[in-house]
Amino acid sequence: MRRIVSLVLFAVSVAAMAAPDAHSILKESDQARGGGLPGIVWEIKLQSHDGDRQDEPQRILVKAVDDSSVAETQEPVRFKGSKILQVERNMWMTRPGLSKPIPISPRQRMSGQASNGDIAATNYAGDYDAELAGTEKVDGEECHVLNLTAKHKRATYDKIRYWVSVQRTVGVKAEFYSVSGKLLKTATFEYGNTIEHDGRRIPFISRMTIRDALIDAETVMEFGTVKVKKVAASEFDLGQMQ
Amino acid sequence: MRHFAGAVLLLVCAHSASADDSDWRTSGDVTLYTYANRMTLRDDSVLNPYNQIARLPQASDVAELRAGFKLDNETVRITGRFIGSTREMRNGFGTSSRSEGYASLWQVRVRAAEGWNVAAGRDVLNWGAGQFRSPSSPFYFDNGRTDPMRELVGMDVAKLSWTPDMQNSAMLARVVRSGYGAAQPDAWRNSWLAKFDTRGDEIAWGMVAAKAPHLGAFYGAHGQYTMSDELMLYGEWSSSVLPVALGSPADSAQPYLIQSPAPRGNATLAGSSYTFESGQSLAMEYLHDGHGYTQAEEAAYFQRATTQFGLPLGLMPRLLGRDYFHAVWQANMMSETGYWRLMYTRNLTDDGNEFAAYGEITLHAHLSLYALAVLPLGNVRQEAGMLFTRSFTVGLKSSI
Repeated sequence: MRRIVSLVLFAVSVAAMAAPDAHSILKESDQARGGGLPGIVWEIKLQSHDGDRQDEPQRILVKAVDDSSVAETQEPVRFKGSKILQVERNMWMTRPGLSKPIPISPRQRMSGQASNGDIAATNYAGDYDAELAGTEKVDGEECHVLNLTAKHKRATYDKIRYWVSVQRTVGVKAEFYSVSGKLLKTATFEYGNTIEHDGRRIPFISRMTIRDALIDAETVMEFGTVKVKKVAASEFDLGQMQ
Repeated sequence: MRHFAGAVLLLVCAHSASADDSDWRTSGDVTLYTYANRMTLRDDSVLNPYNQIARLPQASDVAELRAGFKLDNETVRITGRFIGSTREMRNGFGTSSRSEGYASLWQVRVRAAEGWNVAAGRDVLNWGAGQFRSPSSPFYFDNGRTDPMRELVGMDVAKLSWTPDMQNSAMLARVVRSGYGAAQPDAWRNSWLAKFDTRGDEIAWGMVAAKAPHLGAFYGAHGQYTMSDELMLYGEWSSSVLPVALGSPADSAQPYLIQSPAPRGNATLAGSSYTFESGQSLAMEYLHDGHGYTQAEEAAYFQRATTQFGLPLGLMPRLLGRDYFHAVWQANMMSETGYWRLMYTRNLTDDGNEFAAYGEITLHAHLSLYALAVLPLGNVRQEAGMLFTRSFTVGLKSSI
């Protein structure tokens, strides 16, 4: 009898070990998009089009830690030095010569289809509850499918369907939904960069393509010169943004 | 001179502190503004009849170069912003011209220790979400937001900042003097300022106290609450003593009363901002300024001005009225192709109104065309119509 009980317990524990945990998958996949790191500095090139209209390319320098980020525009030159600071759900914009930082709404988008949340470090594990909804192939690659629901209001999107590569544990595709379940945008991710963290080399995001679900509009974000390093809290201090 | 020496000392320390950190980054921006302004003055103005008192320009043509630079590494940041301008001004009395160059901002900042920064330079110490005025700043009640062409000049300060985490920061500053072009005598020379800020999940607020040698203490507070992705509520408050005020007894038979310093007064601004799906936003603000005149005092101010020229204009309060409504409807500030802003102000004390519109369109990656129109609707005894009936500015902005 004891042998049977032991066998059952062993089988249960093996099954538990084998079953992927949605939160762990999410947490690990966040690292490849800047989450869970002591801080990250990267340069992002944005190129958007809306139908036939091609927007001017943008180049921004981003410093991010968890939910906080500061994005400084490098190009176009007429906006050079403009900064967007986000600390939790509070956002401000400054520009050279502006009399004081202007608080802005989370509704103000960065450029094209990109939200301010898209340029910051991704912390889906902290911002969303995850539920595993099986596996699917994306471009021939086996992926976990995660249904994410926002834990709090500062999350950029209400719901996300997120495909995470089983082998690489990086997010390769996402669908962003409104609270009513309407598909707003889709995104695909590429990981051509590599960073070193905790003595490990991990793949890191190099390109994010965001498409509007309703209109013919697309924004491509290319992530370059990625550095993992501690970013001082004073970088996110509104009083020291000069 | 002492201030400059302090900055040099800070630079030397900075050099030592960053000797091992050769990862210097540099960046800069240069923008040339060329613009022309035409203003229709009121000949029947009570304060400035036939422009005899103020001799305001009716036409001015300006070329202004604004250049900024930043040099920084992990320990040190050196920034500067310089303005050089030349302007030609014309009115019924003739033509005059003026050229000037100055640093509107500069700063040497050194990261002294984990969470601690020391800085010296010329710094715009302005904060809070208010657009119409900034009651919570002792130095910039008129924050320049209602005039898109205006750029504020910083205060000459040495400051110590403590930022223990993302949510909290504190700052102690020694204000050596007001910056370039400040009114003399300088009430803020050798003053102290302390400020604390905190930023929560949806709320950000701060408190400030300042003390100048010959003025009662200034106390201020500001806060904002992001209710939703669309709606933000905000407010600013202060209790202050002004260096000088022109008292206007409600009985116009009584003379003006020059008070130095002025009695303590409170100013409160309450506002809300709603952002539409398009990114356009509508902000509405109410301001109560205890240093302004009541309706009877404002009427007496204009009545007395009919017989006493100069003084009412020279010592005009920062705002004539006591209560104001201000609304701003503006385009998405993140837009790359252009920007516009419509502003409406109502002086609830004298019922005068002012409309203003600013627009900017991008002609080329380096070139923008902009225009500003101001249309006050008021009579000569209302703040909105007391000096001019319309003003129009058009210009080109070239970024290098």
